[in-house]
Amino acid sequence: MFLQAFFVAVFGLAAIGFGVAVFRTASMVRSALALLFSQAAVGCMFLAMQSEFLGVLQIMMMATEMSIMAIFMVMFMMDPGGLGGMDMSHQKRFSIGAGVIAAGTAFAVALVSDWGPVTVEAPDAAMQARELGIEMLGRSMLIFETAAVTILTAMIAATAVAIPVHEPARNDGKDENDKEASR
Amino acid sequence: MTIAAVLLALMVSAWLLAVIEAWLSTGRLRPVAPLLAGLSHLGRESLLPRKPDRLFFETAPVLLLVVAVLGAAVLPLAPGLVIADLATGALFVNAALAYVLVALIMAGWGPNGAYAMVGGWRFLGQLIAYAMLIVMPITAVAMRAESLLNTAIVASQASLWNIVYQPLGFVLFFIAAMALAFRAPFDLPTAPGELAGGVDAEYTGMRLAVLRLARLVLVITLATATTVFYLGGWHGPLLPPWAWSLIKTLTVAVSMLLAGHYLPRIREADLLSWCWKLGIPLALLNILIVGLMILVVP
Amino acid sequence: MTIAGARKGRPSIVQRLVGRAQARNLSCLIVPGPEVALAHGLDLAAAGMRIAATPRDAAVLVVIGALSRKLDEATAVLYAQMPRPRAVLVLGGPTPSSLPPADVSTDLSQAELIEATGRLQQALAEGAFTASPEDFDASVLQARIEYVCPMHPEVVEDEPGRCPKCGMDLVAREAGAESGATEGMSEHDHNHHHEHHQGHDHNHHDHDHDDGHQQGHAHEHARTEYVCPMHPQVVQDEPGSCPKCGMDLVARVVGADEGAAEMPLKHGDHHDHEHHEHERHQGHDHEHHHEHGQHKHDHGGHDHSGHDHGASGFMSMVEVTKDLPRSADGLAMDWIKVPFGPVFPGLPGGLRLTLTLDGDGVAEGQATSLVGMSAVTEEGAAETFVERLATAMALAPVSYRLLACRAIEQAAGLKEDPATARARACALERERIASHLGWLAQLGRQLSFVWLMRRATTLQLKTRCANREQLVAMRPALWALNVRLELTPLLKARLKGIGALPGGSHDFRGPVARAAGSAEDVRQADTIYRELGFEIRTGTTGGDAWGRLQQRLMEIMASLDLIEAGVDPGMPTLRDIGSTSGISEASVETPRGRAALRLTLEHGQVVSVELDTACSHHIGLVANLVEGRELGDALVAVGSLDLSPWEVIS
Repeated sequence: MFLQAFFVAVFGLAAIGFGVAVFRTASMVRSALALLFSQAAVGCMFLAMQSEFLGVLQIMMMATEMSIMAIFMVMFMMDPGGLGGMDMSHQKRFSIGAGVIAAGTAFAVALVSDWGPVTVEAPDAAMQARELGIEMLGRSMLIFETAAVTILTAMIAATAVAIPVHEPARNDGKDENDKEASR
Repeated sequence: MTIAAVLLALMVSAWLLAVIEAWLSTGRLRPVAPLLAGLSHLGRESLLPRKPDRLFFETAPVLLLVVAVLGAAVLPLAPGLVIADLATGALFVNAALAYVLVALIMAGWGPNGAYAMVGGWRFLGQLIAYAMLIVMPITAVAMRAESLLNTAIVASQASLWNIVYQPLGFVLFFIAAMALAFRAPFDLPTAPGELAGGVDAEYTGMRLAVLRLARLVLVITLATATTVFYLGGWHGPLLPPWAWSLIKTLTVAVSMLLAGHYLPRIREADLLSWCWKLGIPLALLNILIVGLMILVVP
Repeated sequence: MTIAGARKGRPSIVQRLVGRAQARNLSCLIVPGPEVALAHGLDLAAAGMRIAATPRDAAVLVVIGALSRKLDEATAVLYAQMPRPRAVLVLGGPTPSSLPPADVSTDLSQAELIEATGRLQQALAEGAFTASPEDFDASVLQARIEYVCPMHPEVVEDEPGRCPKCGMDLVAREAGAESGATEGMSEHDHNHHHEHHQGHDHNHHDHDHDDGHQQGHAHEHARTEYVCPMHPQVVQDEPGSCPKCGMDLVARVVGADEGAAEMPLKHGDHHDHEHHEHERHQGHDHEHHHEHGQHKHDHGGHDHSGHDHGASGFMSMVEVTKDLPRSADGLAMDWIKVPFGPVFPGLPGGLRLTLTLDGDGVAEGQATSLVGMSAVTEEGAAETFVERLATAMALAPVSYRLLACRAIEQAAGLKEDPATARARACALERERIASHLGWLAQLGRQLSFVWLMRRATTLQLKTRCANREQLVAMRPALWALNVRLELTPLLKARLKGIGALPGGSHDFRGPVARAAGSAEDVRQADTIYRELGFEIRTGTTGGDAWGRLQQRLMEIMASLDLIEAGVDPGMPTLRDIGSTSGISEASVETPRGRAALRLTLEHGQVVSVELDTACSHHIGLVANLVEGRELGDALVAVGSLDLSPWEVIS
């Protein structure tokens, strides 16, 4: 029990540490990978808290997600290496305020809520995976499907918006013009 | 004890694979060649490129080795011979191997060189091609075993290996595993003829030795995974279980090498388009077929 | 006895062990390239060496023949990039001037090579470590530092100080960082030359030039204004929040008479030059920082001195990227100029390909030869000229020997002797087979197609000196190779549609032209060839890389037919011409296409020559073939041309 709490604390602190590192570096790749390791540390917290499936899933998903984020940041940012010392922050006062309030709320909720009795014995990992699967095929299905499609749409839309179309590509320049004409 | 045995098995397989690889490319069988190569790497300077991202440059080879070993840690080589038989084993293999990508991005970004960088990002581009083809066939395998426990997956193949039960899944997984191991013909991130070594290009000495070892272990891990998921793991007549695991693993690993030997490097665009347009529908079809068989065949 | 490139370390037992291991595990980097070794009949793999793709992976630098000055310099960079202990093996030429003395040098023959490898192994086993290694230094590795004014690019001084125009402190940069004169010495020259920064800078420079006088002290006249990050049209003189979205306005500095929002974007090209911070490690690294002197890292194109950045340093992505060149996918990415070659595993040695990469795509590129023959050749005796021409063309010595002999004999007015002519034609055809096989091996190397590389190499080495009988006996093997390649999965997909000749192109020669369907072949007009039953065969599948592969495979078989109908190949030797005079023009269909030689002979001396080769024309195609292609495809396209940099006349 003590060991478990210790590991939860260690990974929790690691997650916070990497989270801070995200904003302490100007290199896009470092930033993305710091976020990755922060999320992976959260995954390790799940593992320490005996929810194996969620932990492994978190660790797996974040590797690819954050890597993809890294390449998007490299593609779209002017100074991906961070060697130019470009400052990307703005509205500092507002964001500090928002951050403090959000953190305060989270702490308050954590402290004030009634979390119910502590579960003495967590079901074993195989059982958890099974129950999770059944839950996923039950009432949670719609929520997850909707979320997945929404995220995908948002990603595609964001990319599409970020690429200007006014300069038609060399190869299919004609097609572009045709499209514009038909519009 | 188990840990030592599994690590020893990994190292022995990696050494055998290196010997066979050298045999294929030079035509000479020299059992000491990998050891000499390792020793001479250790004796050489380990240069740093100029203005590297030092953290990434140093971490990448080690991370690659660690994830390859972690992936192997949940794969059973014989009954009882597994470091950790996780209840989410099949998923864990995938989670560990996802960090191969992270290691390669680090190795690509770290040296501050154009070849390495193109190589690293190329591998990320490839991910979109192969990642689904790793996960979806594993799903079908887990469906048959009705468990994510790797030992249960092996046990489920006692009567009929998955390579017969779901051949489509095997083909897809085998190809995706080769792409994940970035061996020829999928050696896009290293591509000697295009990128002069790509992500490997800037590593020398000790770091290169770790990187080479990591790549060998990665192939072994993927071959072991293929054995566990499709070739019935340790099952086999006469010989002891560990011997069967070793034989099957090496067979898979060598056939991966041979494929690279006799094929030219694939075009990146072709790989992406074939995986998306053909591979993913086939993987879904595989899941469907396996699902039907589980329901219909008692 | 220690080798020149020994590593620092006391010769202890461990070191001796490591030295022995290294001696038995030789990896070599071949300058100019493996295809040159093969053309000379050298099989380094048979001598027990592994051919490394990069200098980082190599322990032995193998130099074949005499190097041109430019290649010599490039070799020094390659040598500097090899980790110690490293050795130099020179075959059949002088030690390149920029390298330390060769550890072993010998002649160009396989027997000598094997013997030399033995000596090299011994030298490595004994002398891989030394207490006091020599530093390697070459003038080409020295990076000269110059000082430039951040505001006035035209101010370039050799010493630090202040700008005479604006009084700002000058900042250091490596000489040549902008000119590009020295860039791309080697494949490892990681020239992070962010083209777009440059393009951008130039605009700014122009700007600075224009109002240089009023604007010299932009800082003093500058005023601060406040803009909304989301709505660029919201501009105020005072801080506050945006009336449209409520975000805090950010400050930016504008020049007094500069309305456009360009100031905050200033990326001056004063790179931060920390090339002194080359990191030492292990205490063994005795290289100076200029070991990588050729690396220019303009990565930090943004000036961080605070002079140029606006007060907040805020940059809007839309503004920053609006003028950048865009690739086909519409993304504005950093363009990096990357050199491939002159010693690059997938390209012919001596060829330098400079590609401007836009991600994994090639925005533009061009090829130059570092070993090309110069147009002017000094006069000399006829025999010397023949030898010189044959030696200069490392990849097709027989063809050029034949060309020189033909031209000189014709100028001397000698009639062609049918028997000799037949033997010569067969020698030419044999070289064509060998050359095409060499190209196949190169293709295998480029595509990591190990089987093809080894098979073609073996066949090429066999073909080189074979007589008619032996060549005819090789027919099944060659035919099998032919069939095998047709059936290899992925190969067609890899080559099809790559490197198609641009429309309306002309004056292409050899297999490149014939694959595209043009009946271009000087052998048609040759009576000897007609007697041997020569008929021209052109490709039907189109002029792409796949078509060229098929064309070359077809020509291998066609040449074999000619040899079978002919005689034993006989090396062309110059007949006695006495001291005649005359002018002539001869041409030969070399493996890469028609080469023509116009020559003036005076009293048995060659006084003027004019050489025209296929590769001189084909090299111009490169820019067209690589543009807009994916990197891998671009390299395949360049490879499919079978350029021989030696045959590029500068």
